[in-house]
Amino acid sequence: MVLAAGNQDALLELYDRYAGLSYAVAMRVLGDPGRAEDAVQEAFLKIWTNAASFDSKKGSLRTWLITAVRNRSIDFLRGRGAHEREELELQPDLAESHRSDPWREVSLSLERAAVREAVGSLPAEQRQAVQLAYFGGYSQAEIADMTKVPLSTVKGRMRLALEKLSSYLQGRGLMDV
Amino acid sequence: MSDHEAMEGSVAAWVLGALDAGEAEDMRVHVEGCASCSQAAVRLRRAAVALPLEVEEISPPARLRERVLVAAAAARSSTLPSAPARKKTVAATPRWKPVATIEVGRFYAAAAAATVLLALLVGLVAGALVGRNSVTPAPPQVARFTLVGHGSLSGARGTIIDLKNDGVTLVDFKGLPALAKGKVYEVWLITPGGRPEAAAVFVPDSNGAKVVLVSMPLSGFAQMAVTAEDGPDGATAPTQPPQLYGALA
Repeated sequence: MVLAAGNQDALLELYDRYAGLSYAVAMRVLGDPGRAEDAVQEAFLKIWTNAASFDSKKGSLRTWLITAVRNRSIDFLRGRGAHEREELELQPDLAESHRSDPWREVSLSLERAAVREAVGSLPAEQRQAVQLAYFGGYSQAEIADMTKVPLSTVKGRMRLALEKLSSYLQGRGLMDV
Repeated sequence: MSDHEAMEGSVAAWVLGALDAGEAEDMRVHVEGCASCSQAAVRLRRAAVALPLEVEEISPPARLRERVLVAAAAARSSTLPSAPARKKTVAATPRWKPVATIEVGRFYAAAAAATVLLALLVGLVAGALVGRNSVTPAPPQVARFTLVGHGSLSGARGTIIDLKNDGVTLVDFKGLPALAKGKVYEVWLITPGGRPEAAAVFVPDSNGAKVVLVSMPLSGFAQMAVTAEDGPDGATAPTQPPQLYGALA
């Protein structure tokens, strides 16, 4: 992979393609432009410095990058350093797309529309549970406290939400996201 | 409820990163040895990683692209052989001479610096490409130093990236307080004898950050310092003791 070879052109291409999504995710988590910039910068730097360990057979570079942005943003939110992160990173599992740029744009647009529709179709309490976890960085126990429901209920909501999303996306041939 | 049932109930929370560290480690160990939980984790994780796609894209500030490139260049430099050791003749703090005896260095307007910075970044990319294709590429000469804030600038930091081959230096500032109206920050290079030379002026962004280009080699200087001076061109000599400074060694 050219990125692993230290090719700054590849870094620029990656940045130009995903900076908007990366920044949006960081802003969604942090709500602060300055810290969002820091989180995105550190995520790109992480990809840059660890590119040699990336295995395209295991998954998409986009997923790796956006997961790094999300995790770093949550670290900022919780005031902890990346070295303190012990939870599992969301490892990429899916195949990298090699479609041409116009098709990639179309494909991404379709994927995003489908994900919005899928998330929007979830019952409010299920949607809230996964969003508090993913974008808020809350643990399941914290979410149970916040929403004043038993922990088992939160677990069930998360499970149901992800199962529905999985089925929805798979049904539209979009699990390759 | 069996251990398996308890673990299975938390697989979704695990792939969402919603378990505490200890719980996550227990889950990781369980999933490694449990085929059904492993399959569930793969299936649910694919849904979890799709969640960020619901977010509407936001164009980041243009400066972020520069920051990422500078950080990448700095990271690359940290893996290179160390720069030659510099002669250490530095005092702990800058010694300022009377204004009348100071030789004034060149000033670089912020706009010009930004233009040259872009050219430099293009050069970094081109240099990386050329370097890989050369039979015997010359090892890049890059050194990094740190500026530390004190007093009213105690929250400020600066990372100096000395690109020796290019004869220029990038300084990545963070945490600078907002300036009073009409003021600018001025970068000074200080000789081992304590004589400051003006190197650049700049105004940080609303987050107190700025990447500044210093278009002069650092050789012959022992320290870099920053003061707040009258804008837009800064002062010919520092009018106050610096509260952000660091050694170039």
